[in-house]
Amino acid sequence: MRPSDHPTIFQITEDELDLNALLDSITLTSTGAVAIFTGMVRGVTSRGEAHETVYLEYEAYKPMAESKMKQVADEIRERWPTIEGIAIVQRIGRLYPRTPTVLIAVTAAHRDTGVFDAARYGIDRLKEIVPVWKKEVGPNGEEWIEGDYIPKAGE
Amino acid sequence: MTRVKILLFATLRERAGGAKFIELNLPDGATVQALKMQVAREYPALEQNMRSVLTTINREYAFDEATLPDGAELAMFPPVSGG
Repeated sequence: MRPSDHPTIFQITEDELDLNALLDSITLTSTGAVAIFTGMVRGVTSRGEAHETVYLEYEAYKPMAESKMKQVADEIRERWPTIEGIAIVQRIGRLYPRTPTVLIAVTAAHRDTGVFDAARYGIDRLKEIVPVWKKEVGPNGEEWIEGDYIPKAGE
Repeated sequence: MTRVKILLFATLRERAGGAKFIELNLPDGATVQALKMQVAREYPALEQNMRSVLTTINREYAFDEATLPDGAELAMFPPVSGG
């Protein structure tokens, strides 16, 4: 399969993340390694200001979010040309602790071709440029979480 | 003058009373900077947000000096916090 045919999935969804189905859709016959990152709703936070989370409410600017996810996938391919399939999926809506919220998966022929770094890059970039926000609801109130990254021209 | 529609998300949407978008009149060829100033004037509840707000034109990040094209899809929102 030529690299231009390599599967790329980018999606904002309200449905439960189906790891097996996503993995299946980015696996080629030449695939021998996958790195998967999944973010979870953390119920108890001890780093920084310790607090508890009852649930998170996610929202997205869906068409732009999906186009920025595609851009993140393109950036991954530019940096790690050996990557085969890429899946970038963000779940939105009300999500409770212990629930997967986001999934970044990259496949390649071998594990020493950058899959770990590519998955790390994917989640870091998603948190910088993909327009998704979350409101944190705790036992004593709610608060929108705002990022601190200001995109530069051309991002 | 042109009437423009601006999509709002997250904190901005809530501060605008839950409105998914707002509409206002701007001179033709106005910039993102002028848009922010007009939003702050017409929607005092959003004035504070205009300092750190991100603005997009046709689903791409846009900066203060950018001119708003006719009929563009505009949006304003706080720095993103997905993941």
